[in-house]
Formats: sequence, structure tokens, C-alpha cells
Amino acid sequence: MAYSDDPEWADIVPLPQDDGGPNPLAAIAYTEEYSEAIPYLRAIMAKNELSPRALALTEDIIDMNPAHYTVWLYRAKILLSLKADLRQEVEWLNETATAHPKNYQIWHHRNFVIDNLGSAEGEAEFLAQMFRIDSKNYHVWSYRQWLVRRFDLWEQGELEATEKLLEEDVRNNSAWNHRFFLVNGREESAGVKGTGVREREIKFAQDAIRKAPQNQSPWNYLRGIYDRAGLPLSDMKDFAHEFASLDDPDEVHSSHALDVLAEIYGEQDGRTAEATKAYELLANRYDPIRANYWNYKKATLTHGNGVAAA
Amino acid sequence: MYSGWVDWSRSSSPDAPVKQTPGSSANADQLHHQPCSRSMCMHVSFPMPPSYTLTSAHPLTHRPCASLTSPPTSCAPEPPKAPMPIPMPMPLEPPRLDHSSPLNKQKHTKYFLRCLKTFLPPAYTSNDSNRLSLAFFTVAGLDLLGGLDANTTAQEREDYIRWIYRLQLPTGGFRAFPGTDLGDRNRDEATQEWDEARYRWDPANLPATYFALATLLILGDDLGRVRRKQCLEWLPRLQRPDGSFGETLVEGKVEGGTDPRFGYCAAGVRFVLRGVEEGGLRGNGLEGVGDVDLEALVRCIRRAETYDGGISDKPFHEAHGALSFLNRLSPSPSPSHPTPTNASTTTPTRGLTNPSRTLHWLLSRQTATITLSDDTQTHSDETDTAETCHDAHTFVHPSSFPSKQGRRMYEDRDKRDNEGGRGEGGRFDVEWTGFNGRENKVADTCYAFWVGGALDMLGHSNLVHTPSLRAWLLDRTAHPHLGGFGKHAADLPDVYHSYLGLAALSLLGGEVTEADKNRASEDEEVKALTIDGLKPLDATMCISKQARGRLRGIWKRWESENESSG
Repeated sequence: MAYSDDPEWADIVPLPQDDGGPNPLAAIAYTEEYSEAIPYLRAIMAKNELSPRALALTEDIIDMNPAHYTVWLYRAKILLSLKADLRQEVEWLNETATAHPKNYQIWHHRNFVIDNLGSAEGEAEFLAQMFRIDSKNYHVWSYRQWLVRRFDLWEQGELEATEKLLEEDVRNNSAWNHRFFLVNGREESAGVKGTGVREREIKFAQDAIRKAPQNQSPWNYLRGIYDRAGLPLSDMKDFAHEFASLDDPDEVHSSHALDVLAEIYGEQDGRTAEATKAYELLANRYDPIRANYWNYKKATLTHGNGVAAA
Repeated sequence: MYSGWVDWSRSSSPDAPVKQTPGSSANADQLHHQPCSRSMCMHVSFPMPPSYTLTSAHPLTHRPCASLTSPPTSCAPEPPKAPMPIPMPMPLEPPRLDHSSPLNKQKHTKYFLRCLKTFLPPAYTSNDSNRLSLAFFTVAGLDLLGGLDANTTAQEREDYIRWIYRLQLPTGGFRAFPGTDLGDRNRDEATQEWDEARYRWDPANLPATYFALATLLILGDDLGRVRRKQCLEWLPRLQRPDGSFGETLVEGKVEGGTDPRFGYCAAGVRFVLRGVEEGGLRGNGLEGVGDVDLEALVRCIRRAETYDGGISDKPFHEAHGALSFLNRLSPSPSPSHPTPTNASTTTPTRGLTNPSRTLHWLLSRQTATITLSDDTQTHSDETDTAETCHDAHTFVHPSSFPSKQGRRMYEDRDKRDNEGGRGEGGRFDVEWTGFNGRENKVADTCYAFWVGGALDMLGHSNLVHTPSLRAWLLDRTAHPHLGGFGKHAADLPDVYHSYLGLAALSLLGGEVTEADKNRASEDEEVKALTIDGLKPLDATMCISKQARGRLRGIWKRWESENESSG
């Protein structure tokens, strides 16, 4: 039913939008529904009416324009004022998030609601549902980190969940990043410096690399663990050599391994020739997209060590 | 007689589109615009409308001015927009750098003129709250094409400027769209004073304020009507104790996520309005206007550096191309604060922790994974194949190929080896590459700017593989009939990707000659066009260098006003 025909809204004088012509910029051919609803929203926001009908109207507006930054804040205020059932709000949010998976404001609102509810019950199922739509949705992953901190979920199967997602898609960089957060993001934990954790994480990344050596995510993860643990990159040399031989240029299975080897040899005295060779293989054969970069690295190498490259 | 977008655009008729009067119809408008068909990337600060397909019927209902406008006096008797004269000068044939299609300036100009002079289709309703961003992309796109003054009258440009100023709040800053302007109801009825408490639901919006200032600059406005003092007083109030910025201030509370895009916009607004003046502002009652805490902002950004050398929105969040751009930029627009690259050698608290890893991360975003099928095929596939390693066709031994390019890359590998693997026909023959925003994601037009812009600011844009990037933008993401750029290869265009596609192309510039390098005057530099015939872009502000150059005169005027009044 149109708002203008609805007895519940009969007392409201719609407050139409003045678009500011002539020649307004980015004028939109609004849908009929939006054109009808917005003047009612404006009228009750001007009155700061905090009522059930206002709540219903914000729902209608959000469905058409989820990026409306004040309508979300207005809705939050109404919810608190009416002491509304926040469980119901979560159910509505679940549907809305599915309909607008890339909307930004919705996650801010969800934080507010779940924080006020004080419970993460049902959130795991909701996240799984969102990941089925897109397992790399940035908002969902950011929200998941917030949940872990807010409800102390560090030991509640999160690590296992990243393993499962990486079994499904070993190239899901979001899942790799979440794992790094779980291992290192907890203030009171030693993280990768803890007993056994470093070894576990190195093995986890190495196993993933052996599955798919050209996958950049676990290579970055492995380097991240090394940095965090204070291990020298040179400790990675034998592992990197599993995927790249500098003696036999046909035996290279990962450009990322070459990259690591170039950096290791570049930092070693008297090994500039090996580093140069690795950069040349990258530039000329194994990673031509970044040829300019590898040649630049090669040049930096020569200057950096003050030794002419072989 | 004008008969609809499809015929018009396909026949390349020189007839200009006009905003239609009520009652006239335009069907098949779906082809007019395509607001971001698949929202795969996170649209930093400008989320685009959801899925909108060719087959879905979105009848365009044209209205005079905007549909929500009621008081007829405010706009209703608006005559139909005059048919635009587009006796467009034929673009000069740009010198060809490579084998990619040339930039069809005429078609792209028409695309942006459609966005400027006709209603955006109903699917943009979900971006109603981003009207100022959409306005910025439209005006800035025409400016880069050199088509703004040629296709608009001085009166129209003044109307656009007035429209932007109508979004300014008496208490400083701009709202992002007319929808929150509740008119006189915001004025205290008893005292007629502007009462901030009554602005509860009509707050100034930080990104909108940056876009307003940038668009005004492009339109040639002198910023004389900007409430500079109020805006500069409002700005620090949006900063949180951790250094980050929010989007709005509602009932004294900073609202919006912790997102570096807000920090970027704050740095941009501060740069434009504070300008060359270091620290305190003199004269015109501007003394004692507090500044934002730049050190805290930089600390906040450094905390968001990720283990792989990228930058995210918060500690431990995933590295993201656009966020890395914003963070590269945030502290830099002020001349009194050197860019982080320089700063890292002089001031330890500023700049990136590990610039070489960030450079590595940024350049790793260039990819041959350019179609969604390339991307989705990596799922559930745990071994390296041609389907999963699109950047490694030359050495992964595949069983099948997702693309002709992949097949050719692989089949020609021996030939290329014999040719020594360099130059044309060698292993450098990567035909199309784009930029993605995160590891193992498909290339997206907007990241050609976000990542390209960050590299430009780091002084390393020369490391990009330019021919394949240009070829991807011009052959694959530019729309051959409608003009504009889509998000992915073969997508229909939307205004956000269309502008950032042009911006990315502009950054690619052309071959810099010795004469270019020796140009003494900056004015000459901005007059020169890029190899694609675009105005050169200032990556930090994401507007043409020419538009940014106008700031100098504005600052000088403010200085002299200060001196005369102080």
C-alpha cells in the first residue's frame, strides 16, 4: 500500500526533497516506490519520531537504498528507544545482508545490534551462509575478526574453520589472513613465538605450497610468519630450492620461490651472481608481467652491494 | 528525433542526449548505464548499486528535476535541457604506443555527458546517498577528456556549482545528497539560530566534503563560498583518539567505520582549506582553529600494515589495494608533510615500515587473471594448472586452458624461448593484464587507478607493465559502443569505473622525452596531454593537474585576505 493511502500515515505531511535545480548533478530517475517513501521518511526524521511505524519505514528505505548513512543511525536510535526485540532485528539483518552483500553500513549496524545483544549465538551459521555467496567478502571477514575479539572465540574452532575453507580453496587469501590474525592477533598470547606454534604454522604453509607452488597466498603467509618469529629469510632457502633450481632454468615450478631465492642471495656477500640469475629468470621467463620490477631489483642489487653483477 | 539510447549509441549519431521532459519515453535504457554489475570488489567509499542486468526491466521514468522535489517553484518549470551542441572536435589520432585500441574520446565524452545531462537510471537509487561522489566522477571524467568547457555553458557550470553549495551546511562541511536537507526545520524556531542539536539527521559527511571541494575546483570555482572556518573546526572533531576518522558527527558521536578512506578525505579537505599555511591560520577570524592530529593518523595507518606488505583498514585485516592507496596518500597531500617515501628517511614516525615490501605487494597486483571465469575456476582446485595460475602460463604444464591467451602463451613457449624471450613476440607478450585489489582476485578497472595511483606516489609507476595494462583497459573494459568503462572485461559501464578507468589511463601518461623532463614550468606540464589525449592526472587528489593547479591562486588570495584583515 502506498504511504499516501495508508491511514497509519494520514497524520504525516510528507516533506518532499528539493533537488536544487536547475541542472542538479547526478540526478537519478528514482523508482516510484522510493519517490513515494522518501518524503515520509524526511517528515518523521525532521520530527525525530521514534516509533514502530518509523522503524518499518526505515526498513523500506534501506531495502531500496542501503547506503543511506543517517537512516541506519536513526534506526539504531529507534530500536533502543522502543527496547525492540534485537533477535528479530538480527533475523531481518540476515536477509538484508544476503540481499546487499557489499553494503558497508549494514555491518556497522550488525556490530551495534550483536554488541547490545551480548551474544554471538547463530553468528557462525550466518557467516557460513555469507561465505557461500562469496568466501572473500571483505566486510564479512572484518566482522568475523570483531566477533572473535568481542566474544573471545579464539579457541572456539576458528583455526579449524580456516583449515576447512583453505581445503576448499587454497587460494582464498582472506582465509589465510584470518589465520594470521588468529595466530598473532591475540594480545595475551605469544602468537607465533609460542611453543610449537611457529613450527605448526610453518608446516601448514609449506604443505599448502607443496600442493600449489604458484599460489602467492601461502608464500606471503610463510614470510609473514618468519618475520613475526624473527627468523632470517635465509632459513627458507632449502625449502625454496624445492621449487626452483638456479642451475637448471627449466626446473622452476614457482616464481615466488625464485623471488625468495633472489632476496636471500641478494643479502649474502658474494652471492650476487645467484641473485642476478634469479631476477633474470623472473624477468625474462617466469614472471614477465613484472619484468620492469625484477630488472629494477637486479639493478638495485648491483648498486646496493657495490659489486658488479655477474 | 531522438529515439532512445540504444539506437543513438550504436549508430554513433552526433545527436546529443537531453534530459527528457515528462511523458516522453526512453525504453531500453538498461544500456544507458550499468551500475556495477557484479559487486566483487569493495568499493571504497562509493559502493555501487547491486546487480542490474540487461534482461531486467527498469523503465526509466523521467521527471522534471528530481522526482522528490515538490515545491514547483524550486525547479518544476525547468525547461527541457537544451539539446547539447556536440559538434565535438574529432580527437586527434594519438600516437600508438602498442597494438591496443585507441581511446575513443568521442564515445567516452558522450558517456559522461549522458551522466551529466540526463537522469541516471533507477538502479542508481541505491546510491542516492552518494550523489556528490557520482557528481564528482561525472564532472572529473569530462574534465580529463578535455570536454567540460566545450560541452557545457558558463551558466550550466554555475548551476552545477550552486547545486554543490546547496549541500553545504551552515555549521561547516557538506552533506552527501539533498535527501538529508530538511530545510528550515533545522533552524531553531524560537531564536532562528542554527542549532546543531537540530541537525541530528542532517550531518556533514567527510567524503562528501572532499568530493564537493574537488568538484568545485574542477568546475573553476574560487571556493569563495566555502565556510572555511566552520569546516576546519568541524574536521578535527571527526578524529578519534586512535587517530582514525569517522564519516559523520551525530549527536556528538563520531559515526562510520574505522576506515582509512575517511583519513584520506580528512587529509584532502585539510590540504585544500588549510593549504600552504603551516599550523595556525591568520586573519579572518581563523586564528586558533585547531588542526587534526596528523601524527596520530599516520600511527593509525602504520598499525594497519599487513604481513604481506600491503595495508588494510585495521590491524590484522586483509591487505587491500584501495586501502593501500589511501594510506599511501593520507599524510601526503600537505606540502608541509612530505610524502611517506621521503618521510621514511627523515622522520622515523612517518611513512611505511617497509616500503620495499609495499612496492612488492603493489606490483604483485598486476595480473593476467582478467575474467570472472578465470577467477572462479581456482575454487576447489588445489593444484597448479592453467586454470589456477593465470600469471604463470609460461611454465605451468596445463591440461586445459581457460582462455585463448592462456593457450597461446603456453603453445608458443618454445618459440619464445628460441627468440630469447625478450620484447615483441617473446615472453613479454602478455597481451592483457589488469590490477586486482587483493591476492588471487580477478582484475578490476578501479584498481588500475588505486594501485597505479599508489605506485605513482611512490615514484615507481615506471615499473608497471604498461602496454598490457593499456590494452586491457582499452580493448577489454572500455565499452566499444556506449563509452565508459566496466568493472571487469566485457561488463557494461558505470560512472565510478568509468572515471577511474580514465584516471588510470591518464597515469600511464606517455613516453617521457628529455624535453618533457627539462620543462621548467609546471604550467606547461599540465597543458601537455598524455599519449591517450587525456589531461595529466594528479594522483594524490585524483583530479587533473590543471584543476589542482588552481589551488595556488586560491591560497594566494586567502593569504592576501588574511594580510589585509590581519
